[in-house]
Amino acid sequence: MFLKRILRSVPVIRDASLRSNDFSRNKQILSAKARTQCQYSTQITPKEEPSEVKPTEHEHNAKLSAEITKQLMQFFDEKDNWGAQRVRVGRAWKKEELRIKSSTDLHKLWYVLLKEKNMLFTMEHECKAEMRVLPNPDRIDKVLESMYNLEEVVRERNKAYHLLETGETGERPFKIVFNKLGLRSFYKLWEHIVPKELHEKWKNHIFSYSHNETKNFLKLYREKLWVKKRRSKLQERRYIFQLFKRFPNVDKEYLKELYPDQDIEKLRQSKLTASHLQQKAN
Amino acid sequence: MSTRWYPIYQKGNPQLRVFLPNFWMKLVKPNVDQPKNVVQFITSVQMTNHDIKNYLEKIYKIPVVKVDTSIVQGEFKKQPDKGYVIKDDDYKRALVTLPRGAEFEFPEIFSKEVKDKEDETLTKHRKELRKGYVEFTAKCKKRPGVPGWFGL
Repeated sequence: MFLKRILRSVPVIRDASLRSNDFSRNKQILSAKARTQCQYSTQITPKEEPSEVKPTEHEHNAKLSAEITKQLMQFFDEKDNWGAQRVRVGRAWKKEELRIKSSTDLHKLWYVLLKEKNMLFTMEHECKAEMRVLPNPDRIDKVLESMYNLEEVVRERNKAYHLLETGETGERPFKIVFNKLGLRSFYKLWEHIVPKELHEKWKNHIFSYSHNETKNFLKLYREKLWVKKRRSKLQERRYIFQLFKRFPNVDKEYLKELYPDQDIEKLRQSKLTASHLQQKAN
Repeated sequence: MSTRWYPIYQKGNPQLRVFLPNFWMKLVKPNVDQPKNVVQFITSVQMTNHDIKNYLEKIYKIPVVKVDTSIVQGEFKKQPDKGYVIKDDDYKRALVTLPRGAEFEFPEIFSKEVKDKEDETLTKHRKELRKGYVEFTAKCKKRPGVPGWFGL
């Protein structure tokens, strides 16, 4: 009421220069003009805003360290599991389950798993230091397995995308080359800024063999492999003879499946397949 | 690319980013007394100081001021009963400095109560074993030189 009365008593000067739009902008001018005419002051003392109380250094430190400890405690297991005999957990993530998830979900899950892995490694280290047993160490295997599965699923998606867009798998390219010993090996390719003709180090790469020593080595090496192969084949043959001897009605078709390198029909007709009684009679 | 093989970086290219980092870190008790705002980690050897700082700030939201690292050689020792030398894996030790005023105390995971409880059960078990052994040997006392299984 009091305020209203004051306002009524104030003769508002209607300047031609003051438009309604300019009212807010020229508020100060208007109030100043009004004040000259008014015997009461219309200005209401603005409320003093409570100035922000600066936290003391001690408080600031306490808050900071509380926050940091909260974050760092992610490296440790829940407090209930400290010194527990057994921690109940589920199984690892399967590929089929991960294939349904969206890529953003997989990205989030990766970080959950990463934090879990770090936590388990920390707990394992601490348990070893304190001469205690880590409860359910299979948790580590489960986390690693699910991380492996997740990465495989992401890789599948990557391959599919690259094949669709570029016609290549997008995997790291490789070549099969001969090394200095004359053996075949995988040579992983990678990008270079300098072309290989101008690269000095490229001259040091040797993908061929020409010495007689190497050739001699290869000859002996191949012979070794061949002898091994022959020995295993003879062993198989002997085993099949024994089978025919002990079980004359054995299924030939199944044997053919098991030993595709052996001629089963020919082996069956051999004298060695007959039992010792038959051999005597003959 | 999820093959963990990144294209070569040339100036002006977009920055290479790791979407699925496979680095690990473990928080350990410092082997030497450190100031209260210093935390010790053991990390995978491939990590650089920059990596460690980014890892803690981005994934764990921990402000980091400074990172000091060193690669610690694994211990050489002889395989018992075999004689040949074996070596533990090398690891990277990182001392991470938190901002001034921050404090972190390594938690006591195996408190005295838990240890005492475990020790109690162990001593109980040991006593029972001892009791059985004494009972068994008492039977064989009067016939020295005869194996234990002889009398029923």
